Amino acid sequence: MRVVGKSLARVDAPGKVSGTAVYAADFALPGMLCGRVLRSTQPHARILRLDVTEASALPGVRAVISAADVPDVRYGGAVKDETAFAKDKVRYVGQPVAAVAAATPEAAEAALAAIDVVYEPIPTVLNLEAALAPGAPLVHEAWESYTGIPILQREGNVCHRARIIVGDVERGFEEADHVFEHRFRTSMVHQGYTEPRAAVASWDSSGQVTVWSNTQLPFEAQNTLAEILQILPSKIRVVVPGIGGGFGGKLRIGVEHFAAFLARKSGRPVKVVTTSEEELTAAYPRQGTVVELKTGVTKDGRIIAKAGRIWFDTGAFAGSGPGVASVATLVLAGPYKIPNLHLEGVAVYTNKTNCGSFRAPSGPQSNFAVESQMDVIADALGLDPLELRLKNIVREGDEGPTGQILRGVGLEECLVKAAAAIGWKDRRPGPGRGKGLACSWWTTTGGSSGVYVKINPDGTVALNTGAAEIGSGALTGAAQVLAEELGIDLTDISVVSADTFSTPFDFGAQGSRTAFAVGNACRAAVVELKRQLFELAAAQLGAEPDALTLVDKHVVALGKRLSLADLARLSQQTGGGLIAHGTFIAPSTPYDTKRVEGHVYPAFHSPSFHAHAVDLSVDHETGELTIHKYVVAQDVGFAMNPTYIEGQIEGGVAQGLGQALSEEIVYEGGRVLNPNLTDYKMPTTLDVPRVESILVQHPSAVGPYGAKGVGEPPNIEPPAAVANAVAAATGLRVTSLPITAEKIALGLLDAGAGGA
Amino acid sequence: MSFEYHEPTSVAEAIDLGARFGADGRFLAGGTDLIIQIHRGKLRPRHVVSLHRVPGLDGIEANGSVTLGALVTHRALERHPAFQASLRALVEGAEVVGGHQVRNVGTVGGNIVNASPAADVTPVLLALDATVTCAGPRGERTLPLDGFLADPGQTALRPGELLTRVRFSTLSERSATAFLKAGRRRAMEISVVCVAARLTLDATGERFTEARIALGAVAPTTRRARAAEQALVGRAPTQAALREAGRLAAIESQPISDVRASARYRTLLVETLVTRALTRCLGRIRGTVS
Amino acid sequence: MTKLALTLTINGQRHEVLTEPNRTLLDVLRADLGLTGTKENCLEAECGVCTVLVDGRAVNACILLAAQCQGREVLTIEGLGRDGQLHPLQRAFIDHGAVQCGYCIPAMILSAKAYLEEHPTPTEGQVREALAGNLCRCTGYQKIVDAVLAAARESADRR
Repeated sequence: MRVVGKSLARVDAPGKVSGTAVYAADFALPGMLCGRVLRSTQPHARILRLDVTEASALPGVRAVISAADVPDVRYGGAVKDETAFAKDKVRYVGQPVAAVAAATPEAAEAALAAIDVVYEPIPTVLNLEAALAPGAPLVHEAWESYTGIPILQREGNVCHRARIIVGDVERGFEEADHVFEHRFRTSMVHQGYTEPRAAVASWDSSGQVTVWSNTQLPFEAQNTLAEILQILPSKIRVVVPGIGGGFGGKLRIGVEHFAAFLARKSGRPVKVVTTSEEELTAAYPRQGTVVELKTGVTKDGRIIAKAGRIWFDTGAFAGSGPGVASVATLVLAGPYKIPNLHLEGVAVYTNKTNCGSFRAPSGPQSNFAVESQMDVIADALGLDPLELRLKNIVREGDEGPTGQILRGVGLEECLVKAAAAIGWKDRRPGPGRGKGLACSWWTTTGGSSGVYVKINPDGTVALNTGAAEIGSGALTGAAQVLAEELGIDLTDISVVSADTFSTPFDFGAQGSRTAFAVGNACRAAVVELKRQLFELAAAQLGAEPDALTLVDKHVVALGKRLSLADLARLSQQTGGGLIAHGTFIAPSTPYDTKRVEGHVYPAFHSPSFHAHAVDLSVDHETGELTIHKYVVAQDVGFAMNPTYIEGQIEGGVAQGLGQALSEEIVYEGGRVLNPNLTDYKMPTTLDVPRVESILVQHPSAVGPYGAKGVGEPPNIEPPAAVANAVAAATGLRVTSLPITAEKIALGLLDAGAGGA
Repeated sequence: MSFEYHEPTSVAEAIDLGARFGADGRFLAGGTDLIIQIHRGKLRPRHVVSLHRVPGLDGIEANGSVTLGALVTHRALERHPAFQASLRALVEGAEVVGGHQVRNVGTVGGNIVNASPAADVTPVLLALDATVTCAGPRGERTLPLDGFLADPGQTALRPGELLTRVRFSTLSERSATAFLKAGRRRAMEISVVCVAARLTLDATGERFTEARIALGAVAPTTRRARAAEQALVGRAPTQAALREAGRLAAIESQPISDVRASARYRTLLVETLVTRALTRCLGRIRGTVS
Repeated sequence: MTKLALTLTINGQRHEVLTEPNRTLLDVLRADLGLTGTKENCLEAECGVCTVLVDGRAVNACILLAAQCQGREVLTIEGLGRDGQLHPLQRAFIDHGAVQCGYCIPAMILSAKAYLEEHPTPTEGQVREALAGNLCRCTGYQKIVDAVLAAARESADRR
């Protein structure tokens, strides 16, 4: 292979290092107004009065809008419970109530301050326990009237329940020699992209609006905007100039609709950009959770029954909650062979910001519980935690928890290699020092992708894709596939992307699917392109099409050859040009439908497997950690571009360590106490260790060259790996995230006092 | 909300503007606190008086005593050769203030006047018995730093007064300083607790003759732990004595629980960090620790 | 509110700017001069994406008043590289896979440049410390650090 499998430089690097790459937050149009959003200051309240008269009259203010000015529409993913502006009632601090567009940021701020809102607070539900208590105030009194996808199981403050049921767990627990029960808690965390959410909207005279935005899903944004604006999708064009990180936080409509409404009302282009405070109070963070896990094992360490429930505090609107609650059950099962399962994911409404999807949604929270408990079980049985896992993990051809047949299972290799690299034999190398392991599996999300591939008259190739590049290098990976299939160089390819008007449909940059799906769409396009090339060349060369070969950017036969450039020029003159439409739709993964209830995501497609290992020391007095070594072994199927895969692993671990050690959005009384980057503590260069990446390759039958999704998995295992290492180092088992120095220091102090 | 911007080119002019604007004006040094507070709407000065063209405020003199101009940046403090030995704590405090970008512009004077209870260099200056000099229309006055800090964000500076310099004596022989900080991450961190210590041993090396312990982030202002200090003076330099001082300092601290840490953890950290800072001072005096 | 008439030297070029006094260098660079290579995010000197060099020193443009930059030399990412040639740091970032979403990269490169100019042969620890005020969410910093070390070694070799 000439191009795939090589660590080639990504195609968008030159623009990014020279500062010429334009991101949505950079995008500007002449005459643009500054848009800002007024947000609720109450967690749950009736809106008694909303008066925008004074604001509208301020100098420089060109538009002020609220619920009264927009169509009365409820939109949303699984449940259509959201409105663009709060109407009658606000359900979280930060919920949009009104928006303004003005000539300057100062004028916009002044307008916000001049909007008169009067709230009447009503009883709140501020956490899971409160929301689930009998007789709890309802976040959505009219929940029954909302449209939801048919499979949902909704009731009051529960916006979904999903279950996996296999065998008979109660009998399994009776037969088990030991049963372990634990409870875990994880915090709300933010994706932390360095570019705020931004959108610029501009209407033309035909009633079409163009929205430049850093959305990860331009086609979904187009559809959602159509719903919200109540105009045809074809009247909406979403263009993604560039995205400064997404991690799932830019999947759903953020500010695009405000920009569009304000632009229509004011008759001018409007730009809306979120502030840090808005990001940390009113975005789509990862849900906080409570996990209860009960596992029954034989005395020699076989897991024979597992019951678990994970509650997602999904905030004031369902958002991604139902989907995430479903996926969680698969992560809770873990990559293990367990004959009896009863696993439930529950998404719950509270009066907090509506949560969304964050890199491997439900992964870290579920895995923290599963893998922490595995180590407790191992220690209780006197087994090595590695041995316990090897005894129970799935292998090639085994069934997954919902009955799917697992292929390309590289988990054992990952575990063995990660353990070897961390020096597992010496699990406690010294006082206050310990090593921890954690493993998991994850999906490569399906959905369809289309590309146009065109050969330019100079022989270079244009790849036109609806996918957005969020930073992983996925489009470079896809371009490498294209280059490999066409026998050209990566540098021969230019990429145009993410414009709903002119690029083909793409399901979006989510679920680690982009390189996988776009790469496959490219392969399909090349099949068609080759047909066109050969047909044209055959006529020119006087040969049969099947006597032709494509070699070194030329079509060759009978000792004669024509370059791609020649053929492209010829085709332009005679046949409209060489251009092919390639599509890929991920095949569904068969599973046993009887094992699931209310499940939005019942199988993991082209699953990846991975193991993390960490070696750290704990300062017993301060509780501070020092990580000596961090190893990831990840089954990537096929490493399309090793350097960028390492990049995903290194970045995913850093982000995962943030959740493990220092990050949390802290609520009190329904308000965020740390809505700024001073106190929302993301890891700096001094907080992240070097990560050793071991790429394992057990090919997927579906992915291009056997590749699987790689972007999300590294985010999953860090919290559990760290918790296990801390336990090995200190004997202290921390069951809540983040594992702060305070929790460790006070935990050790209390344990010492108790043990003395 | 905008403001009028002024760039005096002398201390006299700066003071004059300060007097004229009073509480309506603010001096701008590095801006690492002021500009952010203006941006957040917490401060709305009608006049901002930038000091960056005022000469004579950014010098460091070290000869018998040390004088730091108010506009000395944390970067300059970190790098000055005079602070690499017994005054090392100054470097240790300065080098953890934000990142390079903040240290390149943030100033010692600005940091003192901003009076965050969690300031990093201030405990070191307190442990060095520093004085501050303020210049106003009625002339200069020099006050001990100890007592100058009144409340979070409040000092004894009068409206329109300008802090011009900080001074402290160089240390006697057999003295050393140390600074330690605890936070949730290793950089860009507002201290959860920070501690500065100074110790002096007598000529025989068998008794402490002087001890200073300053605590940050555990009271409304940076403050001394006097009972802990007194417990050390005249004591033999044993680990038990240092631990005792740590315990006393913890008792003297008045931490609150906030989003960064609980009071209980902060108290624990005071004891640990004070003990460790004192241990490090002792090691430095004996030459066993760098 | 009286606007200020400022002459700012950005990347060696003089710009005449008329602006309210409270506007920052970041505001002026991005909105007035169209130099969007310097990025905006937290606006509170916490994330570092707005880093530029002023008289060779790394600073956060979001808290620096444009007025304070009169008479000083400002270097932004657009001023790196010459005649279409990438600066060695830019080259190293590409070669070492240090660029993912890229939003933090201009600031990283400038912070690194300022540091290498004073410390041409840094250790990994020193490079990390130099970049501690620049947040990156994509890369985990490793390849960024590797790129800076490589650029430093390359410059040292060439001397």
